[in-house]
Amino acid sequence: MNPVRARNASAWLLPNDGTRTNHRLRRDMRRFDDADEVDAVVVGCGAGGGVVLQRLARAGWRVVGFDAGPFWDPDTDWVSDEAGSHHLYWTDPRVISGADPVPLGSNNSGRGVGGSMVHFAGYVPRLHPSDFRTLSRDGVGADWPIGYGQLKPYYEAIEQELPVAGEYWPWGEPHGYPHRPHPVGGNGEIFLRGAEKLGITAKVGPVAIPNGRFGNRPHCVYRGFCLQGCKVNAKASPLITHIPDALAHGAEIRADSMVARIDVDEHSGLTTGVHYIRDGCQRFQRSRVVIVAGYSIETPRLLLNSASRRFPDGLCNDFDQVGRYVMVQGAPQTAGRFDAEIRMYKAPPPEVTSEEFYETDPEKPYRRGFSLQNVSPMPITWAEHVAAQGHWGEDLRRMMSDYVHWACFGALCEFLPLPENRITLADEVDRHGLPVADLSYSQCDNDRELMNAAREAMEDLLHAAGADDVMTIGRYAHLVGGARMAADEHLGVVDADCRSFAVPNLYIVDGSVLPTQGAANPALTIMAIAARAASRMNRR
Amino acid sequence: MAWRGRFPGFDTTAQWRHWDPATAGSVLARLGPPQPIRFFTPEEHATADALCTRLLALEPDPKVPVVAMIDARLAEQETDGWRHEDMPEDGEAWRRSLAGLKADAVDRFRLPFALLTADRCDVLIGRVRELGTQPWHGLPAGHVWSLWTRYACTAFYGHPHAWNEIGFPGPAYPRGYKNIGTDSREPFEVEDEGE
Repeated sequence: MNPVRARNASAWLLPNDGTRTNHRLRRDMRRFDDADEVDAVVVGCGAGGGVVLQRLARAGWRVVGFDAGPFWDPDTDWVSDEAGSHHLYWTDPRVISGADPVPLGSNNSGRGVGGSMVHFAGYVPRLHPSDFRTLSRDGVGADWPIGYGQLKPYYEAIEQELPVAGEYWPWGEPHGYPHRPHPVGGNGEIFLRGAEKLGITAKVGPVAIPNGRFGNRPHCVYRGFCLQGCKVNAKASPLITHIPDALAHGAEIRADSMVARIDVDEHSGLTTGVHYIRDGCQRFQRSRVVIVAGYSIETPRLLLNSASRRFPDGLCNDFDQVGRYVMVQGAPQTAGRFDAEIRMYKAPPPEVTSEEFYETDPEKPYRRGFSLQNVSPMPITWAEHVAAQGHWGEDLRRMMSDYVHWACFGALCEFLPLPENRITLADEVDRHGLPVADLSYSQCDNDRELMNAAREAMEDLLHAAGADDVMTIGRYAHLVGGARMAADEHLGVVDADCRSFAVPNLYIVDGSVLPTQGAANPALTIMAIAARAASRMNRR
Repeated sequence: MAWRGRFPGFDTTAQWRHWDPATAGSVLARLGPPQPIRFFTPEEHATADALCTRLLALEPDPKVPVVAMIDARLAEQETDGWRHEDMPEDGEAWRRSLAGLKADAVDRFRLPFALLTADRCDVLIGRVRELGTQPWHGLPAGHVWSLWTRYACTAFYGHPHAWNEIGFPGPAYPRGYKNIGTDSREPFEVEDEGE
């Protein structure tokens, strides 16, 4: 038997008849009453929440996972189409501001069970050991209250559960992956060709798509629609990697339920549960522990919306830390034109990576670095890239007709955590009357220098591979921070175990706890932190 | 105009039998009659139609119902999930920017925008693009430009007619792809003949 199955049977709990959802498991799901005091409620069923639910349910906790969005069925709810996938994103109102405002929605925000991993590109690199102490090593960013070594066993466990396919990884702490790398498409070929010409090390992977069958999850069909939700059940998301096992161990998933406020008892100083809205009704679920996993925008928003007499400026916000140090990665996207047909819409969108520029280079004027990956925009996203160059009308249509000839790379630049890059509440309210989030973002000089360096590196790669024309757009990718972990309450919101400093039975277990972000896609790190936090909760 | 025939005979929807039912339903619905206009007033509708026709060089036939697709999104408040601090919500931003175009047309050419010649439309549209970060009718021009192009491109390049002219085969489930390297095609893909 596959050793993963003994500790997480999710992949074996999916159907093997060509359909993608185990309806019996959902029909027979345990359902708690609002008046039951459950052991824990988890707010948000994405990368962090999904893992915590599975771990705690396995350990015998009575847990309910809330999600504002649906409990997806890939067969009926998702389509193999870009325009038809709009409902996968968090599209409730939000405001963006600052000198460099960051678009949200499809770019970085999911809703529904599985969270943003439903539409993430599938890339799951680890952080490097240096990422945990950038302040003491490089004089920028922050030091984490934990080190790489403390996360490493959880990285390994999650890599087996997703599972991850890729070549042996020579960067950070070198390591291998449980599955062999996938074959690369035209876009990945171009990346490898350019890297070889320039003598830059490039590797295939790591993607959270098994190479071969895994349990009842079929092989990837290389259709390229990873960002539209994987109808195949090949690409990992908690919907298929952790939630089925959680259900089998007695967890309840309460979908389409928006948590509006966390309740804290004034006398004990402990949380007693969450107020939520379902089908227009306001309800309250009692719980012994509350675990917030709403990600970098909704988690701070929920805390700020949970102000009370004890916490007049927002829950856990005694030291003005909630909502601060939100980070995105600078993700310039550079495309190159080739006479050959690339047809970049085939195969998983990112397949090839170089982390050669990840660490601080003392020769450079900037600190920290960036990673390079291939990305593969579908027509609508590609049209945005082309229109951003100023093309419109007949000119735009003509440029677009050249789609099959373009290869496209993306960088992830490690933007630094800055206190003024933060979530606050806007004057506007959503349809429930809850104040919406305002994300203010402004780059620092180091951020801008990294973006320029990454752009040059990608243009060099494309030219080396034979591109006759290149074009770049500025973009951002991913979200982390906003309720960071720290050594004490003056520097952050939660401790190394993701327990809030202010309320002993309140945890935050999602991307918002990351003090720095490295130049790696964050999903794996979020899951590993969640797995570690769950194991610490169990020991308490 | 040669680019219009780069992929001779290529028709994405000819493959619909190989699509899963959820996807086929969603995509093929775009070929049928569009939803009636619910959000735009008749005057806004006329201006939006002239704007999108120029932004995307739309042909009269086969007509991709870009304005109806935008109208449906606005009526259903299907936004991108964010708005700039210095812009109203998307529906209001569309209304105000269409009113701005109409005002520019009357000021400069003494005619409503919808009745201008293509060249004159292009002059007024091009001016919004060139203003960049400067204000235009009280809105930052660059953010208006981004709003127009995002909605217009999302509508047009989500339509099978647009896929045909760029060689993109559209939905790929459950079949997937077998030939994924450079210069390799599936049997149903058509080689680019160039311009």
